Amino acid sequence: MLRRVPLEHRGAIEFTCLKMKRLSKYILLFTALLLTLTPVYWMLTISLKREGDQFAVPPRWFSFSPTLEHYSDAFLNRSFGQYLLTSTIVAVCSTFCALVIGTIAAYALARLKMPGGLNRKLSLWILSTRMFPPIVTAVPLFLMMRDLQLLNTRLSLIILYTGFNLPFVVWMMRGFFVEVPRELEEAAMVDGDTRLGALRRISLPLVAPGLAATAVFCLIISWNEFLFALVLTQTDAAMTLPVGIAGRVTQYEIKWGVMSAAGVVAMLPILVFAMAVQRYLVRGLSLGAVKG
Amino acid sequence: MGVGFRVPGVGSDKALAYLLLAPTLFVLLALSIYPLIHAVSLSLQITSGGIARWSPQNFVRLVSDQFFLAALGHTLIFAVVALTLEFLLGLALAVLLNKQLRGRSFFRAGLLVPMMLPTVVVGVIWRLMLNPNFGAVNGTLKGFGLNTAALTWTSSPRLAMFSIIAVDVWQWTPFMFLILLAGLQAIPQEPYEAALIDGSSAWQTFRHVTLPLLKPAILVALLLRTMDLLRVFDQVFILTEGGPGFATETLSLYIYRTAFRFSDFGYAAAMSFVLLLITNIISAFYIRLLQAKES
Repeated sequence: MLRRVPLEHRGAIEFTCLKMKRLSKYILLFTALLLTLTPVYWMLTISLKREGDQFAVPPRWFSFSPTLEHYSDAFLNRSFGQYLLTSTIVAVCSTFCALVIGTIAAYALARLKMPGGLNRKLSLWILSTRMFPPIVTAVPLFLMMRDLQLLNTRLSLIILYTGFNLPFVVWMMRGFFVEVPRELEEAAMVDGDTRLGALRRISLPLVAPGLAATAVFCLIISWNEFLFALVLTQTDAAMTLPVGIAGRVTQYEIKWGVMSAAGVVAMLPILVFAMAVQRYLVRGLSLGAVKG
Repeated sequence: MGVGFRVPGVGSDKALAYLLLAPTLFVLLALSIYPLIHAVSLSLQITSGGIARWSPQNFVRLVSDQFFLAALGHTLIFAVVALTLEFLLGLALAVLLNKQLRGRSFFRAGLLVPMMLPTVVVGVIWRLMLNPNFGAVNGTLKGFGLNTAALTWTSSPRLAMFSIIAVDVWQWTPFMFLILLAGLQAIPQEPYEAALIDGSSAWQTFRHVTLPLLKPAILVALLLRTMDLLRVFDQVFILTEGGPGFATETLSLYIYRTAFRFSDFGYAAAMSFVLLLITNIISAFYIRLLQAKES
């Protein structure tokens, strides 16, 4: 079509086409962004609205007088402060345990050659334990915790989340260790360092950013976990934030402001953390299968 | 390692490796393998009058359990529809954002938000959005003069499944988008230049250059999403609790209810093996496709 247009006009037409294309692209992207963020914004407004404003039709997106009463209600009058504390303790402790145990295993798989192709086989086996649906082990793990008299304790969740995060830590950290040039450690060892000394002084500092990113992923996974927390904790003292929120959502009379306030608080640390690991996001989410 | 001299400590590498791996293997044996074996034995026993005996009855019961078959059907429909929509939308977004664009990192960060949220919070958000009386969705539709009386979303037998699929698409399309965008950015420039010289149209280039080179990323994204979709629990639990009636009961939910509401652990274990089997067959299929690509 363009060929029949006199040469001197072609540039202008191409330019307009390009501009139209770019404009439609932006319109599409803004629509997608709007659909993505509006629901989150809606929850934020509900958490800040008095009840009269919450139920207004048509919905009040911007014009309402904000209040923090739902936040103080949720976290001071009700037990959400306690759930928050439990979630934090469980996430931090399980992340720490998984990192310590998993990092040394990852190092062994990446660096120390074992006979019979055991490195590769074990790596794949460890990964495969993460692949089966959690509901499969929910029943036996519930019975196990019941027999150990650990139901309704934070310890049971710390133990389980350590187990969940472990394959993830091993798989991620193995990838990071493989990327450290072998020669660096060998040089240190020729200079008289031991294997573990070389790990501590050479490799560990080099994989530190990867370790930090892995830690953040573990925190997010533990913080968001729902099924096992639901199964193992039923008391206010041991419940995590997601279970506390879910218990209120499925009741008949729902305090929407309180729910939303708790939801906002459950969401904020995750968003901050996720932005911090943006660089490693692809790698973490695909378990290292796609390098971002 | 150089030839002719021994690096100190290399001789004990093997022993050190086992030592470093021991804690991980112990934890995984205790928290993954032992429960799995325990689940097998639970599923093969029935208890009557406090006495357990071996019996395949739990598995026999599966075939004639209408609720189980319905839950299986719901899970498959949910997984197939959500996977398709998430893939198509994610691919479209990835292609849109693959070119140099002002504000690209801003769009990317914004679009990723839903995937990061705890699923319970996503449940709360959409309970608020879809509430028939004061939710933003119906409120907005009313603003356009539409009659929303029939649009009760999560409590309507007809719309409940649609609702949970829509919420899943909202939350997880970003995941597809992210993985596919990374895949697109890893494709080198040369094949595109060759296609340009050959005079390929944009569609031809996409079909014959982009898609084949993107295949590994596509397979990884589909594999990981499929596994998550088949085990779906959290969102459905919050949004519909499997209802209204049984309309959105998925396999994980039915297993949960069987075990923890009715304390029928053996039957729950038997059902969970069906879920495990389906998950394994499908992931083996994907992994075969991936390996076929590599060789």
